[in-house]
Amino acid sequence: MASSETEPPPADPSPKARRRTSVLISAFVVLQFLIPLTYLTREDTADERFTWRSLDPPAAPSCETSASLERFDGERESISVQKLIHQDWVDYVGQGRRAVVDAFLRKQCEAEGVMQVELVNHCDGERGTRAYNLRCGGERAHETVRTAAR
Amino acid sequence: MKPLERYWFGDVALARPYLVLRFVLGLLAFDTWLNMMPQGAKYGVGAFNVAHFPWFDTFVPSSAFYLGVLAFTGVLALSQALYRPHRIAIVLIAAGYTLGWSCSLLDSVPYHYLLSLYLVCFVFFPMLSARAAFSRSDRAPRGSIAAYVLFCVTTAIVYFYVAAWSASKGQSYWLPMVCCVAYLVASMQDRAELPALRMAAPVLVAAPIAFHLLAPQQGWLPIYMIGIALVVFAPTQWLHSFGRALTQPARSLVEERTEGGIDERASQVFYLSLLGLVVAPMVSMFIDMPGVKTGCTLTAIAMLFVMGRQLYFTPRWRPAWRVASLFGGCLALWITVTASSARFDYYREGALDADRRGDHDAAMMFREKADRYAP
Repeated sequence: MASSETEPPPADPSPKARRRTSVLISAFVVLQFLIPLTYLTREDTADERFTWRSLDPPAAPSCETSASLERFDGERESISVQKLIHQDWVDYVGQGRRAVVDAFLRKQCEAEGVMQVELVNHCDGERGTRAYNLRCGGERAHETVRTAAR
Repeated sequence: MKPLERYWFGDVALARPYLVLRFVLGLLAFDTWLNMMPQGAKYGVGAFNVAHFPWFDTFVPSSAFYLGVLAFTGVLALSQALYRPHRIAIVLIAAGYTLGWSCSLLDSVPYHYLLSLYLVCFVFFPMLSARAAFSRSDRAPRGSIAAYVLFCVTTAIVYFYVAAWSASKGQSYWLPMVCCVAYLVASMQDRAELPALRMAAPVLVAAPIAFHLLAPQQGWLPIYMIGIALVVFAPTQWLHSFGRALTQPARSLVEERTEGGIDERASQVFYLSLLGLVVAPMVSMFIDMPGVKTGCTLTAIAMLFVMGRQLYFTPRWRPAWRVASLFGGCLALWITVTASSARFDYYREGALDADRRGDHDAAMMFREKADRYAP
């Protein structure tokens, strides 16, 4: 019967293979320890990816988002964020996730004749109002915070 | 050996890596189809995307791309869970799965990153056959498997950080910390020189089970972690008996005697396997979701690559079983998608989003399909 036959277990690694494997394992373990610590250096505290800070998605703050752009001829135009991108991105923008806010503003700058784009999050509670302003050609939006207390 | 080397290279019951690899791959397949695929309509909307890593930022994944990657990953993962896994296939699954979540922040589920770490560990697991792990009835075979210990340490690191961040927020942290220690202890329980651990480890399974039943978590994480805990902490003899019962058909039907040489069956197996590789992806034609056909076709190509010269230069039925496992994967995808609400959810979400954006043509297309596939 085939089922009664055995195959040998994997061979024990040689000392050389052991040394090589140890280096690889150490690198992998060190990396796993360091990646969550990068949270401490993150500018965007809402960005909890790869940190194991929570195994559940954090509750999104309730914010109302509005956006507008200014053309070179001085004309201002409001943008309906909800009509341009998926609701999940709108939620990210509402949470003030910098990577998404910056990418969204840069995307609006791709249109013809746009000089500046502004996005404002009106949030409940302590978060107050946050405005993100990007002069087209730049990489990062300038953030202005007006908390409810002020 | 130095103490640290003794820790990484100590003996492990082969049943553990065998079962944990198959459990995670099997669950991952259904997770991608049932939980990730319905989210596919979000991708590519408004040609806007932000990836997890900056080097992806210029790439905007479409719905078809995302679903194709998930179909590819899921089918390949299930086929590897069904039949003896191949290292190249595990590399492809790890790459496909990581590409799937990392191409967009739309997928920010924390445990998808953990599964990618697990898949990296799996690449270095021994690709055990059922016979190697379970053929002996008298005692459970053991071997030095550093990648399995690394898998346990990876899990322990996750619990360590869950505990550490909880402590930093002033919340209770003892349960995840016990889980962390438990995984470090359990990774050593099969060593002959540590009989006390064999007694302690099975009791410690209560910690991860309690943690995953009590703490709020996203998606199927509790299922993964409780299943993994049961395999990692179970007493060796229990696990061995369970594995023997589970693999009885595989050991008596699939595994064959290891005779050398090429016999007259080789050409029959070759043509049968080729035919199977062409026909298996055709099952995906009945799924009617963008990208799935391409994903399944790529899985067949990957399987051809995995089999390589084994496809012809083998006297055994191994290629035919590999193709059968691919068939199993494609059929499971079809049954899962058609029998669940995954496809309906995909089209319904697409219709709702298109309506909200005022894209009436897309909304109508999505709604038509949603009506057709309503459960």
